[in-house]
Amino acid sequence: MVDQQQSPLPSPLTGLDQIIHAPARLNILTLLYVVASLDYVFLKNQTGLSWGNLATHLGKLEEAGYIEIDKGYQGKKPHSKIKLTAQGRAAFKEYKTTLQQFLDDLPE
Amino acid sequence: MTAKTSLKEVERKLFQTSVQDGILDIQIGCVLLIFAVAPLLGVYLGDFWSSFVFLPFWIMILLGGRSLRKNYIQPRIGHIEYGSYRVRRLKNLNLALLIFNLAALGGGLVVFFRFQDFQGWLPVLMLSILCLVGFSLVGYLVDSPRFFLYGILVALAPLVGEFLYRNYRFTHHGFPVTFGAISGGLILAGSVMLIRLFRKYPVPDAEDLEW
Repeated sequence: MVDQQQSPLPSPLTGLDQIIHAPARLNILTLLYVVASLDYVFLKNQTGLSWGNLATHLGKLEEAGYIEIDKGYQGKKPHSKIKLTAQGRAAFKEYKTTLQQFLDDLPE
Repeated sequence: MTAKTSLKEVERKLFQTSVQDGILDIQIGCVLLIFAVAPLLGVYLGDFWSSFVFLPFWIMILLGGRSLRKNYIQPRIGHIEYGSYRVRRLKNLNLALLIFNLAALGGGLVVFFRFQDFQGWLPVLMLSILCLVGFSLVGYLVDSPRFFLYGILVALAPLVGEFLYRNYRFTHHGFPVTFGAISGGLILAGSVMLIRLFRKYPVPDAEDLEW
C-alpha cells in the first residue's frame, strides 16, 4: 500500500519531456529548431559546452530520435552535420506548448 | 534586467554570427575604392580603363573572400545551413538588389544620354540617396544595423566631397578624399572584425572532432 503521507506532490513539470528539459539539451534543440542544420564546431561555439559534454548530450538526443547526425569528412578533417528530425521537431513543439501553458497558468 | 529572447531572435543571432567575419565589410570597402581611385587614374588611363582595371581587382577580392571563409573562417566558427525563413529572406535580398541596381543603372543611362547638362548638387544628391537606399535595403534584409550606419556614411561622402570641392577646391569633387576615407574605414572595420574572430575562435584539434 502506498503511503500517502510520504509520497511527494506530483510536480506540474513532470509532464515535460525530461530529455529536452535539461538546460544544455534545451539549448541545443533551440538552436537546431531555427536552422536547417549545424555542424559540431558551430554548436560547440554557440552552446559553450566542452567537446565531451556536447558529445554526451548529442548522444542522448540521437538515442531519443530527436536529432540526426550525419558523420562525414570535409577534406581530411571529420565534419558532422547535425539536424533535427521530424520527431524532434514535434517533441520540441510539444515541450514549448506544455511549458507555456504551465507558465500561463501561474498566478500573478 | 531581463532580456526578451524569442526563437526569432535566436535565429537572427545565429545568422549574424555566421556573417560577422568582416569579409563583407572589406569587400564593400574595396568596391567603394573605385570612387576614390578611378578619378585619379583617369588622368593616365582615361575614363573607361580607369574603371575597367577595377574588375579584376574585384574578382580577386571576391574569390579571396570566399577562399578565406572556406579555409580559415569556417573551420573556426563552424558551418550553418539556414532554415527556410532565412533562405527566403536572402532570396528577397538578391531580388531587391537586382531590381535596385537595374533601376539605378537605367536612371544613370537616362541622365547620361538625355541630360548632359545635369550638373551641380542634384547628381551628387541623387548618388547619396541611391547609396542610402541601397545600404538600408541590405541592412534591413540581413538584419544588420551596421549597414544603416554605413549607408549614412557613404551617402555623406559625395555631399561632403562636393562641399570640399566648391569651398576648398578639392580635386575631383572631393571624391578621392571622402570615398577614400570611407573605403579605408570599412576595410579597417572588417579587418578588425576578422582579427577578433581569429583570436576568439581557435581551430579545433582534429581529435576533438572525432567522436
